[in-house]
Amino acid sequence: MQVVDWKIIIEEHGPAVWQTAYRLLGNDADTADCYQETFVCALKLSRRQRIRNFPALLVRLATTRAIDQLRRKFRRERFSNNSHNPPDGSDNNHDPAQYIQQQELADRLKTALVQLPPQEAQVFCLRYLNDMSYRQIANELSIKTSATGVILHRARTKLRQFFEVSSNEHKSEVLL
Amino acid sequence: MKKDENIFEKSVEALKNQQIPPGPSDELNEATIEILNRLSEQPNIIELDNRTKFIDKIIVLKSLAKFAVAAVFLIIAGFAAGRLTTTQPPDIEEIRASLEPAIRSRLLGEVKQYMQLGLANSYVRLKDDLTEQYRQDLNQLAANIVAANGNLTNQLLENLIESIDAAQSQDRQLFAAALEQIELNRRRDNAQLSKALFSFAAQTGNELNQTKQDMAELFEYTRSEGFVPNELNNPNNIN
Repeated sequence: MQVVDWKIIIEEHGPAVWQTAYRLLGNDADTADCYQETFVCALKLSRRQRIRNFPALLVRLATTRAIDQLRRKFRRERFSNNSHNPPDGSDNNHDPAQYIQQQELADRLKTALVQLPPQEAQVFCLRYLNDMSYRQIANELSIKTSATGVILHRARTKLRQFFEVSSNEHKSEVLL
Repeated sequence: MKKDENIFEKSVEALKNQQIPPGPSDELNEATIEILNRLSEQPNIIELDNRTKFIDKIIVLKSLAKFAVAAVFLIIAGFAAGRLTTTQPPDIEEIRASLEPAIRSRLLGEVKQYMQLGLANSYVRLKDDLTEQYRQDLNQLAANIVAANGNLTNQLLENLIESIDAAQSQDRQLFAAALEQIELNRRRDNAQLSKALFSFAAQTGNELNQTKQDMAELFEYTRSEGFVPNELNNPNNIN
């Protein structure tokens, strides 16, 4: 069994896990739950196998947990018909209109990510949100590098289609 | 499409550059460390994991057994349904009798087509070979004819040149003979003309002398009569 000092691990890699989870979840409560789940899952994994790259593992776990939590959250919001959280206005450095526009774009991408298969969403987030290379993603997911490229291409194609459909729906709503 | 692409890229950038508050808080870190320590201190977690793995294996084996039993039942049911719903076993002779003409005709057609294709290929190849051979023979024959005709033509040309030379020499001889004859005729005519002129001049002189004598006689006669014209008295007047 691998002996791990979790205090040091949390101090070194906790901010990266927090940023990864918060970027997708967007609030402190959900992010805190995802944060704790990530480290618990990492502890269980460290008992089963030797962990060689903790940062990549933690980012991958955080991304996976965040996407799962985001999917559950969107499902709940769909049932409760409350799909939009008002901005808290905590960012005072930018134009409010620009902030709202950025927030809306980010929410649209989150909505699209929820509709992707888990592996494609995970690969997309690791590549474009965490700037991991194809090789790192392939090592973390135990797949080939070429498969990583294929999965990423599929994810991008589906996301583009989602954006096209949502744009057409938005145009039709504006015309009506 | 381009606009959607831009929106997509902007969305990725917006999500990536989203403002994230600093974190995690110390309380969250402490709570997480406490949870991890508590989980680490549980001595039977590994055993529990092993037990869980064993239970998972049993569950997997059970599901596999269920799947195998279901597959066997499905195969038996399919076999029974097939046996019940099937008609009499097919008569092989009848099937062969029904299929044989069609297979034979199809095989015959395919063989025929294959043979036609082979014959067509052979015909084309044979035609090409014969054409090539014919062309070579023609070239050889043309070369031989040209060589033979060259010799014959040279001989004929030599004969022609000799005949032309003979004809030209004969013509020259005839022309020289004709010229000689013309010269002889000219000389003879010239001589005859000279003789005629001499005789004419001699005759004319004689007649003139006769005339002079006649005139002298006439003058003598006239003077004796006393009638002498003035013109006749002048001895220088020849008229």
